[in-house]
Amino acid sequence: MRILLSLGLVRGLIAQAAGTAFGMALTMAIRVLLGLPAWNAEPVMVAGALVGVISFLVGVGAFTDWFKWVKGEETPMRHGPPEGRPAWTRYLSVDYSHKVIGVQYVVTGIALMLVAGLLAWIFRTELTQPGLQFLDAPTFNTMISAHGIVMIAAILLGVSGMMNYLVPLMIGASDMAFPRLNALGYWVNVPGAILVVAAMFVGGWNTGWTGYPPLSVQSPLGTPLFLLGVYFVGLSSILGAINIIVTILRMRTPGMTLFRMPIFVWASLAASIIQLTGTQLIGLSFLMVVVERVLGMGFFNPNLSPEAIALGSPPGNVLLFQHLFWFYSHPAVYIFVLPGLGIISELLPVFARKPLFGYRWVALSSMAIALVGFLVWAHHMFTAGMDPGLRVPMMYSTLLVAVPTGVKFFSWVATVWQGKLSFPTPMLFVLGAISVFLLGGLSGPPNGTVTTDLFLHDTYWIVGHFHATMFGGFVFPFFAAIYYWFPKVTGRKYNETLGKLHFWLMTPAFWVQTLAQMDVGLKGMRRRIVDYDPALGIETGHLLITIAGFVIGLSILVMLYNLVRSARTGEVAEANPWRSRSPEWQIPSPVPEHSYARPFVVVGDPYDYGLPGSTYIQFAPSGASE
Amino acid sequence: MELEKKRTTPSTPALAQKRAAAYRLGTIVLIALAVLTAIEFAVGRSGTAIVALLIIGLFKAGLILQYYMHISLLWSDEGGHG
Amino acid sequence: MSTIASTMADYRHQLRNNRLGLWLFFISEAFLFGGLFVSRFYLWGNTRPELDQTLGLTITSILLLSSFFMNRAEMAIAHDDRRTFLNSLLITAALGILFLIGVVGFEWRGHIRPWDGAFGAVLFGMTGMHALHVLSGVIFILIVWNNGRKGHYSSERHWGVEACAIYWHYVDVIWVFFYPALYLMGTVVR
Ligand code: HEM
Ligand SMILES: [Cu+2]
Repeated sequence: MRILLSLGLVRGLIAQAAGTAFGMALTMAIRVLLGLPAWNAEPVMVAGALVGVISFLVGVGAFTDWFKWVKGEETPMRHGPPEGRPAWTRYLSVDYSHKVIGVQYVVTGIALMLVAGLLAWIFRTELTQPGLQFLDAPTFNTMISAHGIVMIAAILLGVSGMMNYLVPLMIGASDMAFPRLNALGYWVNVPGAILVVAAMFVGGWNTGWTGYPPLSVQSPLGTPLFLLGVYFVGLSSILGAINIIVTILRMRTPGMTLFRMPIFVWASLAASIIQLTGTQLIGLSFLMVVVERVLGMGFFNPNLSPEAIALGSPPGNVLLFQHLFWFYSHPAVYIFVLPGLGIISELLPVFARKPLFGYRWVALSSMAIALVGFLVWAHHMFTAGMDPGLRVPMMYSTLLVAVPTGVKFFSWVATVWQGKLSFPTPMLFVLGAISVFLLGGLSGPPNGTVTTDLFLHDTYWIVGHFHATMFGGFVFPFFAAIYYWFPKVTGRKYNETLGKLHFWLMTPAFWVQTLAQMDVGLKGMRRRIVDYDPALGIETGHLLITIAGFVIGLSILVMLYNLVRSARTGEVAEANPWRSRSPEWQIPSPVPEHSYARPFVVVGDPYDYGLPGSTYIQFAPSGASE
Repeated sequence: MELEKKRTTPSTPALAQKRAAAYRLGTIVLIALAVLTAIEFAVGRSGTAIVALLIIGLFKAGLILQYYMHISLLWSDEGGHG
Repeated sequence: MSTIASTMADYRHQLRNNRLGLWLFFISEAFLFGGLFVSRFYLWGNTRPELDQTLGLTITSILLLSSFFMNRAEMAIAHDDRRTFLNSLLITAALGILFLIGVVGFEWRGHIRPWDGAFGAVLFGMTGMHALHVLSGVIFILIVWNNGRKGHYSSERHWGVEACAIYWHYVDVIWVFFYPALYLMGTVVR
């Protein structure tokens, strides 16, 4: 019990509950003082949610050091596990080590993935037959909306987890540039995710993950909680991005010039630039919906009150939301996939024992994708009634993104070409990722072409498209990374047979699912609709999607079983089982608290596998540390 | 301790001079900003010159970024005066 | 390396990281304010509501003047002039509060209310988001003043002051663009 109460997470949760209640009571009191009726669910809940989140962060201890700074006290950096408490407790409390925070991110991400996956199992079961089976429309709508946004939050957490754990190790930094900010960046996700999940139980919402007004202005009470929850997850993105960028730009070990950085670090830099800038705009658009709901500020309301007409005010415009939203949310897909594509480039040379083909081009292609990605947002609005003059430029810029993406593909193929390939689980997932990403990538240009998109928009084809891109660009590489770095993180080996089982269950099932989604989409299945016309002849397709979805979920459970069991009882791993050149594999597993006992310098190129006599890094002679 | 000592040393003439120069620069920038604001106001009252107003704004922002926010310290290798 | 020299080197290193981090935060926030700025043109186009011009010019001048005093405070601590440092900080905070009174107490009590079409939404959205930042800046200044009073900063080490100063100037830069966007650009609709 004492240990329980000493956990930051537990204190945070208690604080959030108390803070929410307090915030609600305070708002009601203020309303009474203003002469309004005490209870109005919307403003009372929004205020409660805000106070609750801040209370969580105070309770968990994310602000403790800063409060001391405010009082002018110094706070030395804490290192290592907490004193007098079991070592695992540090994972459930505020901890400043990037390795702990990386694991926290990944585990939380997987937990959210399970929540969202469970929702998918439920509504996919509903969709196996036309008509309503056991879900009513509002519940279905809430479930698909929550599935989408919780998965996105899970992906963002997974991305941050990989970046947190790997970037400092790969560039030889002792930790992130701002460890306290890093911890805050992780913890703000937890109350944020709680808000999104809670939104399902206080009325739900029916807008899908995109939250378009005018629907989101009128939809049920869960909406503002969902919007605020996402806002806080976005805040985490921004704080994390600041940290990653400063760390990469300022804390590289001597000799590591920009063009000697691992590709994953390049990809993290590119993804962080998007997170830093774009996220503000989804935040702004969601905030605007909240104030429109709570205060009646008509950003998106096309109707004018008599008073507004007397002022000569122009009306609001729903398209404003879509522009702001997609200015982030298109580039956001590159936040999801760039690190994953970086993982692919990172692992292929290791398992092909060959240099990465065209290193410089691959490094720059991440940057190019990130920058061009900011110029294509309106390809999501071809049917929305926007200025038709935007259509053609957006179409061409969209197709332009294919060029740097193609660079990556060619590099991968050329790297594998004539390599001495081996196929342990991580490599399988890398190859699976490439095949799935190819499918997703090829389904993009038809969406980006105005004429075809007018037909494809809002169908299951789009659902197929983005599941393939996100699985190929994030989920498969993420699993590859988990298997690959598992020995480094835990010091133990995972079970290879179970790993292969996971792969061979998931990959064919995923192909079936995506192709069936695209097929029912082309035959007229609309996305986000609980029912469909039996005359479309898509029942078999839907059945296949559902079965495949269950198989994918089961395969992930196999992975979790494998990981949990191996972390406890797996065979002890040697320091460098993959014969990697990367610095983190040259030190013991699991990585010691202060990663590198001796600093290293970079003397060669990172991916020169199989070239005789080439070295990447050299450790300083011992005693030369400090 | 060394820092403590510095803090209490009476200012040397050289320091006093540098300090006066820094204050003076701050005043000059303020005057420039005030003039630009006056121009801005006049332009704004006389018509709908959005572009002209934007350009004046960019000038004002440039002054603040350069002289008040010391943006160039980002590129300096020295810790600067911070 | 002696300890003092090495801690000073550490401090310099961390200082440069801090500075870059804060500027990255500014870049991030620029997208937030930029989004509001663009929304103003998207919704208002070439029009604007009738606003109290004297009030607009007054609060703008107040904020500019506060930036001057903020800069004076920073220069003072950088050159070991503690009294000017503390006084200038207080003046800055007072001017900041005056600005807030101008926005919240006068502008927000005008004839336009938040729910009055796009005029109300954008006016309150832009000034509200900005005022929130001014408020946080004032709190920051007061914290720095309190620590400065206790003798926490020196000419060599005053990142806290510098951060507070450039944050304050940044908020001023935002207003440099918001003021003409709200008060001067486009034709008045009556
Ligand atoms: C990099 C991997 C990619 C990811 C992660 C991705 C992700 C997504 C997502 C999530 C959506 C659905 C948004 C919604 O909910 O409405 C979407 C739609 C779209 N994608 Fe992709 N995509 C990728 C690659 C591409 C490529 C290569 C193209 C074109 C060349 C493309 C063009 C489009 C278009 C035009 C739409 C809008 C379709 C519509 O709603 O009518 N995407 N993508
Ligand atoms: Cu897009």
